[in-house]
Amino acid sequence: MSDCILEARSLGKVYEEGPVKVEAVRDVSLQVSGGQSVAIMGPSGSGKTTLLSMIGCILRPSRGDVFIEGRPVRWEGEDLSRVRLNSIGFVFQTFNLFSALTALENVEVALELRGVRGSEARRRAREMLETVGLADRLNFLPRDLSGGQKQRVSIARALVNRPPLILADEPTGNLDSKTGHAIIELLRDLVVRERRSVVVVTHDTRMMDLVHRVYRLEDGVLVS
Amino acid sequence: MPSIARKNLFYDRTRFAITVIGITFSVVLIFTTIGVYLGFMQDASFIVESIPADIWVTSKNLQNFNFAWPISERKVEQIKEVKGVAETEKMIHSWGVMKLNTGGTEQVEIIGLDPEGAFGFPWTMVAGAPTDVKGGDFVIVDRSSVKRLGRLKVGDVREINDFRIKVVGLTKGLKSITTAPYVITSYDTSTLFNPYFREPVFILVRTFPGEPVAAVAERIREHVSNVDVYTRAGLSGKTRWYWTVATGMGMGFLLTAFVGFVIGMVVVSQTIYSSTVEHIREFGTLKAIGATNWTIYKIILEQAAVNAGIGFIVGLGLVLFIQKGYAALGIAMLIPVPLMIAVSVLTLAMCLSASIVSIRKVRTLDPVMVFRA
Repeated sequence: MSDCILEARSLGKVYEEGPVKVEAVRDVSLQVSGGQSVAIMGPSGSGKTTLLSMIGCILRPSRGDVFIEGRPVRWEGEDLSRVRLNSIGFVFQTFNLFSALTALENVEVALELRGVRGSEARRRAREMLETVGLADRLNFLPRDLSGGQKQRVSIARALVNRPPLILADEPTGNLDSKTGHAIIELLRDLVVRERRSVVVVTHDTRMMDLVHRVYRLEDGVLVS
Repeated sequence: MPSIARKNLFYDRTRFAITVIGITFSVVLIFTTIGVYLGFMQDASFIVESIPADIWVTSKNLQNFNFAWPISERKVEQIKEVKGVAETEKMIHSWGVMKLNTGGTEQVEIIGLDPEGAFGFPWTMVAGAPTDVKGGDFVIVDRSSVKRLGRLKVGDVREINDFRIKVVGLTKGLKSITTAPYVITSYDTSTLFNPYFREPVFILVRTFPGEPVAAVAERIREHVSNVDVYTRAGLSGKTRWYWTVATGMGMGFLLTAFVGFVIGMVVVSQTIYSSTVEHIREFGTLKAIGATNWTIYKIILEQAAVNAGIGFIVGLGLVLFIQKGYAALGIAMLIPVPLMIAVSVLTLAMCLSASIVSIRKVRTLDPVMVFRA
């Protein structure tokens, strides 16, 4: 498939703790095309985060292959860093912002890693934060931002390098209902506007109406 | 570019202050220990270094400058016969006891040298003239002796080994590592104080210009029996080595400086490690979004380097202040530029090596952690 951004083939992950083996993900295959949004839903402990870590090239699968933009992922340090840097934007449940950096600087860090520096990095970071509605919070430290504002910074950081794939782990998990809804809409609007693909791992059933496809995961197996 | 390293440092000001205080303490301890040691070493070989003789001939098996024993005056003539020797001069170094105005006594080191001889008196006079010691039982004392001998001035009369002497001049900067004050007098007068020191303790040699000093020294060794022959640097080095190694003083200073280094290393290591642990999730996030390990190492190393730089500058400022206090107490603390460079490099090395534990922590950091709530 020429416009396939993400493809997982027969992914499996087994955790071994001494003699005990736990198969967290079993034989999962999925595809995400350009501009497509996908939700992975399932109860706690169903293997959602493990699956997200593997398709995010952070966790090496025990079995199977991951293809990003049609290229197979080689599970080697430098290559993995490069894939994550160039092709994937992450949005985390706990935001994971740099506590000593302002909102603007948090976004700039992602640009710096891609080699965009100085005034160009500052301009692009400012534009991205304006896009997510934080024009008046550029120089605020994370401790001075609300949960929703922190998640907007996290989204801005994920999108600022224009990666073809956004992976979001429970993006509304730490937010109240109203703020969570606003974040979902923001994420959806940005993905549509920026023509990105997005994979969201969530419990939030409101996501079902906002994505093109929903995968359900139970006991490490895709059931639909 | 937002420097995560610097931002992290200044974000937690308490930790930053503790780190800088630790490094500053370490730097001050290292500087003062080595600085005072260098000051003592300067005192130890000050006479040797200040007299411009190329070669020093003295008694066999010399331990150091201060404990030399007389040699036969006939050696002077033997030395003059050696090829390459241009001039010779006799010098006495002996010990005496000065009676003080208070009725007490104080040990002194006596230097006897002809003020109009080949080398004169090379020391800085603050009262009187070197030639004033000629023609009588006259001496020059250093003004740093005030704490041991009282405030002596030109015209004061005292006794050394029951010989009445008169102070005719004052020098400055002339101190001995033994802490006994130097008393300078003419060669002839110096022979009066001690019956065992009636002959030269040192025969100073000036070589002809262009003559290799080491070669002349070797010829003297071959030609004159039962003497030790040193170049100026050789005698200076032997004296410093004696006080450093034979007395154990150097080991004491070295240990203190090492303790300073270890204290600094432990403090920096602790604070950088606790900072790394506190920011571990952020480092994990950096890894997750595509940073290499090296990018994160640079952040940790930059933190260490900034700590080192600020701690060093604050420490050096304090040391220069302390140096003035030491000088007021009459203790020389030398902070030459090479020492500054060495301590700055040492401080940087200390802080960078203190980061190793943090770097190991980051190296094994699994970015999967960023998905855990």
